[in-house]
Amino acid sequence: MPIIKEEYQQNCLLTYQGPITVNLVSFLGNYIKSFIEYDTKVLVRLFKIYIELTQNVSYYSSEKQQVKNGVNCGVGWFTIQESDDSFRITTGNRILKSDGKKLTQYCNEINQLNEEELRDLKRKTRAQAMVRDVGAHIGLIQTSLTSGSQLDFKIDPVDRLHSFFTISTKVMKQ
Amino acid sequence: MESLIINEVKGSPYYPAVSFNAETGVCEMRGESYMEETYKFYEPLIGWINTYILQKKPLEMHFKLTYFNTNSSRLILDILDIFNKYHESGGSVNVYWYYDKKDPDMVEEIEDFMAESGMEIKMIPF
Repeated sequence: MPIIKEEYQQNCLLTYQGPITVNLVSFLGNYIKSFIEYDTKVLVRLFKIYIELTQNVSYYSSEKQQVKNGVNCGVGWFTIQESDDSFRITTGNRILKSDGKKLTQYCNEINQLNEEELRDLKRKTRAQAMVRDVGAHIGLIQTSLTSGSQLDFKIDPVDRLHSFFTISTKVMKQ
Repeated sequence: MESLIINEVKGSPYYPAVSFNAETGVCEMRGESYMEETYKFYEPLIGWINTYILQKKPLEMHFKLTYFNTNSSRLILDILDIFNKYHESGGSVNVYWYYDKKDPDMVEEIEDFMAESGMEIKMIPF
C-alpha cells in the first residue's frame, strides 16, 4: 500500500493504516466522540462521515486481509486533520482499475448537486439499493450531505489491474 | 409467538438493543446501527414484524437510534414500508422517533424516511 502523503498528515489528530474491521471503526469512532474537544454538533457530523468513509474502505477495498475468525476485510488508511476552520477526513484504498470510471462519475455527479438535489438522489438510490449490498454510491451521497462540502477525490494508477482511490471531505467548525 | 429481545453488548456498540414485545406489540430499537452484513441482523426483526402483524394486533414502534449508517437505513426503510402497508390495510401502527436535539441532521433523516415510506413518524426531541 502507498505511504500516506504528507499533505494528509499535517495537523493530524488520528491516522490509521491497515485492515479496517468494524471493531476498529467502532473503537476509534468512540475516540472521536470522546477525546476530540469540540462542539457536539460538529463531532456528530465528523463521526457520521468517518463511519461511512471507513466502512466504504472496509467493504470495497480491492486489497483484502484475513483477520480474526477468518473474516476478510478491506485494507486501506484514513486520517483526520484539524485546521482553523474545519476537520478533514481522508481515506485511501486500492480499487480495481475498472471501477475507477464509475467512482469518478459518482463523485462528479454528487459535487454538482445542491442539498435538495442530493437528498432526492439519496432517496432514489436507497429505494433501488439491494438489501445485501447497498453499494458505495449511497455512502458517498450521505457523506456529501453530512459534510456540506465537496468530495475531493483522485484516482492514481497502481498497476495493470489496480488504481488507488483517495477521497477527502471537510466538516466545517461553524 | 415469542417476544424478540437482543440486549446491547458493551464491546459491540454497532448493534442496537432490540425489544419487540409479542404480548403488548410495543417494540423498541435503541443505540447505534452500523454492523457488518447488516441484513443478517435485520432479517429476523423484519420476519418477527411480518409474523406479528398477521395477528392484526396493534403495534407501536419506538426508534431510539442515535446513529445508523446507510446500509442500516436501507433496512429501516423496509421496516417502515411494512408498517405503512399494514396501516393502509387497516392495521393499527404508531411510529415514534426519539432524536437528540444536538444532532444537526436527524430531523431531515426522519423526514426522508417519511417521504420514502409514506409512514407517519412522530418525532420526539430529547
